[in-house]
Amino acid sequence: MSSIVATFEWLEGLAWTTALRESPYGYPLLETSHVAFIVVFAGLVITMDLRLAGLAFNQAPLAQIQQRLLPWQIGTFVPSALTGILLFCVDPLRYYRNVLFLAKLTFLLLAGLNALAFHIKTSRKPAEGWDQDSSVIAMARLAGVASLVLWSLTIIAGRLIPNNWF
Amino acid sequence: MKMKTFLGVLVLGAFGAAKPGFAHHAFAAEYDATEPLTLTGVVVTVDWSNPHSYIHLDTKEKNGEVKHWMIEIAAPSQLLRHGLRKVDFTDGMTATVKAYQAKTDPTLANGRLLELKDGRSFYIGSVGGPNDGAETQAHPFLQ
Repeated sequence: MSSIVATFEWLEGLAWTTALRESPYGYPLLETSHVAFIVVFAGLVITMDLRLAGLAFNQAPLAQIQQRLLPWQIGTFVPSALTGILLFCVDPLRYYRNVLFLAKLTFLLLAGLNALAFHIKTSRKPAEGWDQDSSVIAMARLAGVASLVLWSLTIIAGRLIPNNWF
Repeated sequence: MKMKTFLGVLVLGAFGAAKPGFAHHAFAAEYDATEPLTLTGVVVTVDWSNPHSYIHLDTKEKNGEVKHWMIEIAAPSQLLRHGLRKVDFTDGMTATVKAYQAKTDPTLANGRLLELKDGRSFYIGSVGGPNDGAETQAHPFLQ
């Protein structure tokens, strides 16, 4: 445990993390882009989840919605994560001691595992057959609802991080 | 259909729940606007940082004991806008801070106005504080 703290103390003391922490423009820009990327990512995920859960866009083939949105989701998740990692590096000890940050990471991990499980289970099945395969439809419903709940919790916990800021 | 409506409400509700609070966290949630403080003491150190800066101030209590205050102030961009710079502080200097007491933590406060020994005063309040005129006090030309 103390070696983690020591690593974070070292990270916090680096010239570039200190400069970013004390910067008038750099930090607000970083924080704003983190939120902006999350907003776009969340929109893309919610759109897909609504289809997976069978709540919207049901005329469109399941696989089409899921596979078309995936590259855009990755394209917005990666910069969200990178800006998030940078924000963490700027003040690692405050995040490490923040229970809501740990909650956010847990929900994020679960949301990732949920997506991964769906991809693994459907990767062998040809996309054209998804809408006729009742097992895929059932899996999609479960994965879609789980994704809506887990990403919502991730965002809510993330938004609440500053309420546990010391 | 009922299931759909239920899930829709659940999702909207979940996002709605994230709404309260502005900027980083609301002033009213953490600090008591009816508990103003005037703290004079030794600046132990200033944590010039995002998303909030902090002044660590040692004051002398009536019984002679030293009390260590952690005073939340604005972010570097806002402090710079009000004319305050990191180099205006030297550890160990004396200063007076007008602030508001935190609701739960007895050693935490939210800074509003900083008065330095050389006579200069600076608005150091963060977004969402009470409308107490601290800003115009620090910038007399605003009056």
